[in-house]
Amino acid sequence: MGFTDALDSGKFIVTAEVSPPRGIDISGTLAEAGQLQGLVDAVNVTDNQRAMMRMSPIVLCHKLAEAGFETIMHMTCRDRNRLALQSDLLAAHALGIYNILVMSGDYPTMGDQPSAKPVFDLDSVQLLQLIEKMNNGFDFQDGSLDSSTSLCAGAVANPGARPLAPQLLKLNKKVSAKVRFIQTQAVFDAAVFNEFADAIRSIGIPVIAGIIPLKSARSARSMNEKIPGVNISEDDIERMEAAADPVSEGLEIAAETIANIRPNCQGIHIMPIGGHGNTRRLLEMCGLD
Amino acid sequence: MIITRPKPIEEILTMLEKFPTSTICVVGCGICARKIQTGDEAQVSSLVAQMRSHGLDMLDGKIVKHACSAKSWDELVDENPALAQAGILLVLSCGAGVSFLGRISGKPVLPGLNTTSIGGSLANDTIEGVCSMCGECNVGIYAGLCPKSGCPKSQVNGPCGGSSDGDCEVEGRKCIWVTIFDTLEGIGMLELLDDIKPPVCHDRRL
Repeated sequence: MGFTDALDSGKFIVTAEVSPPRGIDISGTLAEAGQLQGLVDAVNVTDNQRAMMRMSPIVLCHKLAEAGFETIMHMTCRDRNRLALQSDLLAAHALGIYNILVMSGDYPTMGDQPSAKPVFDLDSVQLLQLIEKMNNGFDFQDGSLDSSTSLCAGAVANPGARPLAPQLLKLNKKVSAKVRFIQTQAVFDAAVFNEFADAIRSIGIPVIAGIIPLKSARSARSMNEKIPGVNISEDDIERMEAAADPVSEGLEIAAETIANIRPNCQGIHIMPIGGHGNTRRLLEMCGLD
Repeated sequence: MIITRPKPIEEILTMLEKFPTSTICVVGCGICARKIQTGDEAQVSSLVAQMRSHGLDMLDGKIVKHACSAKSWDELVDENPALAQAGILLVLSCGAGVSFLGRISGKPVLPGLNTTSIGGSLANDTIEGVCSMCGECNVGIYAGLCPKSGCPKSQVNGPCGGSSDGDCEVEGRKCIWVTIFDTLEGIGMLELLDDIKPPVCHDRRL
């Protein structure tokens, strides 16, 4: 079943994230994705995530498609103007990349090329509108395309962002641009996620919840500091500190979170720190393998 | 008000190396740069003193009423005949002022400041990045707080996911979207934000 069919069917979806390399050798990334074979409905490929320079996700999505994976290509508004965005969307489609996850993108000063020009020619709402237009056979300026795209566009949301009301203003605008799914920032507090799911239930768009299994108390504290909207509870951090095997404890916590949010989402998106070595184990713990 | 920041003296001295040795006059602009103290009398005389300490041939510094006005320059020259001896003008104004003085004086000009944004002055604070000069002003719908300039990502349809407890993901900044939202909510006009705002048409500024 393809990703869009899975969305439509109501099936509980599993996606997982890989990142392109910082060099020209993609074998490591393909091996990383290989661990996800048979486990996921689609593999997400990031777009210079955290504003750190890496290979274009178009290439990696194409190679993953050749290896039999369905892909979701991330596309930020940070690095390309409307000409380049359209050009890359056409290129992606021609290479068999049909799912696009749209996001603003972290500001360049957050990453390793802090002096880069921040483009943000379109915002995420406008980029989603552009994809809808291209699906209808038109470019940004209303010129006819030689052939239409048929892209499945997704939007991101951050359930833990506070205040939430301005975030919902933006999310509602994204939804009006016909997004097919919403993927969230990493969820560590099931109650916060469930409250968010309640707030957007009337929208009727499948929500895929982001999951990062904790690896150590230290990395949990660092995420609390560095990632907006992430609030890992002191209880969980203490569990990680007390655990003889923190990696297993982190997987336990993630599995508990998944169980607690499962009635309120249509899928999970696994984005582990440092590789997918334990992704199969986590999905087994959740009965999702 | 155009916001400027001083260049390091080392950068000014390096720029000067490319020009033939000449008498230099530091000229501050009497409007924005004077108001935010990047081109006022104190800055002008301090720069003149520093450059003299490097052995450069300096006239006494001057303040021109508006660096972007031909009439102001003519008045300054009339009042200060010694300006005719200046071979180079080192201008403490925005980039427009430097360019303009170059055109109307006919002398080589060098910038002593970097121009960073359009802003304002509030009590003793300089407020940066208030307008992005997009050429299609609609600041009224944002409670007078333009997100095209006030948000580093120029988000016009709501905050990005980096907004957290009122802070921007860019260190040291507040999320302008939280202020816009709270202000409009306070006056019962949140519906101004309902429509999807289109991207800026950059060709309008040509």
